[in-house]
Amino acid sequence: MISPWEGISLTVVTHEDVHLSILKHRGDWDDAYQKQAAIVRLSPADIEKLRLKDNARVELASSAGSVVVTAKSDATCEAGMGLMPSSLFTNLLASYDPGSNVLPGKYIEARVMPTGKDVTPVSDLIMRRNRA
Amino acid sequence: MSSSMLVCTGCGCLCDDVQAEIDGNRLGQIENACAKGAAYLQASFNPERRPKISIRGQSCSPEAAIDEAARLLSKAKRRLIFGLDNSTLETQALAIELARKLGAALDDASSFSYGPLIERILSQELPTCSLSEVKDKADLLLYWGANPTATHPRHLSKYTYYAYADFNPAGWYPKVTLSSIDVRPTELTAMSKPDFRIKPRGDRELISGLLGESPTASVEAKQLSELVKKSRFCTIFCGLGLVHSLDGDFSGFGQMVRRLSQSIRMAVIPMIAETNMVGFNQSLHKQTSYVNQVSFAGGVSHGRQFSFLEQVHKNAADCILIVGSDPFSMLPQSLMSKLQGVDIICLDHFSTPTTEGASVVIPTAVPGVECGGNVVRMDGDSIALAQPIKNGDPMEEEILRQLLQKVQP
Repeated sequence: MISPWEGISLTVVTHEDVHLSILKHRGDWDDAYQKQAAIVRLSPADIEKLRLKDNARVELASSAGSVVVTAKSDATCEAGMGLMPSSLFTNLLASYDPGSNVLPGKYIEARVMPTGKDVTPVSDLIMRRNRA
Repeated sequence: MSSSMLVCTGCGCLCDDVQAEIDGNRLGQIENACAKGAAYLQASFNPERRPKISIRGQSCSPEAAIDEAARLLSKAKRRLIFGLDNSTLETQALAIELARKLGAALDDASSFSYGPLIERILSQELPTCSLSEVKDKADLLLYWGANPTATHPRHLSKYTYYAYADFNPAGWYPKVTLSSIDVRPTELTAMSKPDFRIKPRGDRELISGLLGESPTASVEAKQLSELVKKSRFCTIFCGLGLVHSLDGDFSGFGQMVRRLSQSIRMAVIPMIAETNMVGFNQSLHKQTSYVNQVSFAGGVSHGRQFSFLEQVHKNAADCILIVGSDPFSMLPQSLMSKLQGVDIICLDHFSTPTTEGASVVIPTAVPGVECGGNVVRMDGDSIALAQPIKNGDPMEEEILRQLLQKVQP
């Protein structure tokens, strides 16, 4: 039996979310955006493996970076798969593959583990650029 | 307040029956728009959602911003123009002219999404049809890797499943079969009879099964094959789920469609979210025979090295003109962080993470609200945009025309 703190491997499948599109149109990048975007849906089997309670916080880590989001149990989700809306959170996990012909970030290989950290603030995810 | 009929440019549906009450610069009641379209229209009338004209974060006059943009483009050695998928055909034509004059690379988001599919449709390798033909004639609607309830909220009601106006004494009844293929349950899969659930990246296997190439064809492949063969006219609406799973390689998909076309009529329509991606691809294709990833440095060249993603990854451009696109909120942060220090000129009608980080920001009129023009919908039909407001920001077209006059290659 593995320790839940070691985490498990996951393919994060991202999808469009109409509520996030509306928030983007409104320019709302604050709490409402975080509440809608910082969610990963996991299978009940994975929730159990990680000994999580519903709405517990988890850290998702990929080769590109890591974010803390809320985990929700979803009976329609298969073990080993996580569902997340495409957002600034998944942009941080996605990495560019020069060999691929499509926008990175539809399928993201990541590790998920329980955490005591707070959900990543959206302000940490908006890229600050030095305006040349 | 006067009531205006407009074409909603909030997504690729381009709904032409949206009624809005407008009084000067104030928006009243909106009718027929979906929640996404209504949010888009409300943002168009919200001064806080509009970007401020600026050079490196400092407010300036429109003339100063255009002069600075022209200066940056003129002094750059490797220019890149990106975006334009939400611009009118008139703007796109000027952007191509500007890229030609500057010897710049030119690319749009189709380069990492629907480009390969649109190219096959434009070259007639894949059959297509208009959405009005779908409504009149198709009897099988197959959404593949697409969830219009999230991306195109009125697609089903305006163009496909619910658009059939047949009633019996019990009320509306569907005259067509609605089916879907997806990796996860959605609002659409719940309505589909039948819906086909596949594993992530399982689309290629399903296509092989449909082609009869796989000795272990899945039950889903056999059921889907039966369903399609039973129909007279099947329209496949291709979503990003399919595009990603095939990694943009539609050769097997094309073979499958051709095979199925031998017994029934087939049509393919990409579920494009942008308002005029097909228009950009068509215009560029006419002039260069390529739909995207083009460079005008020393003639016309084409290749992956001219894609926006590769240009950013390789730090290939020293000045980027972005027109009506927000790559900072849709691309991996690890990639976009490579743009530190690159001059970015951004033309947009909304304030976005990209306008926030741009060196020069020039606000523009919202197509379909503050400026007219023409666009090409996902099915290839041309749509003329209305212009209910006459006194907004300058059109993208106007800015590009001025840049064309001012830049020195």
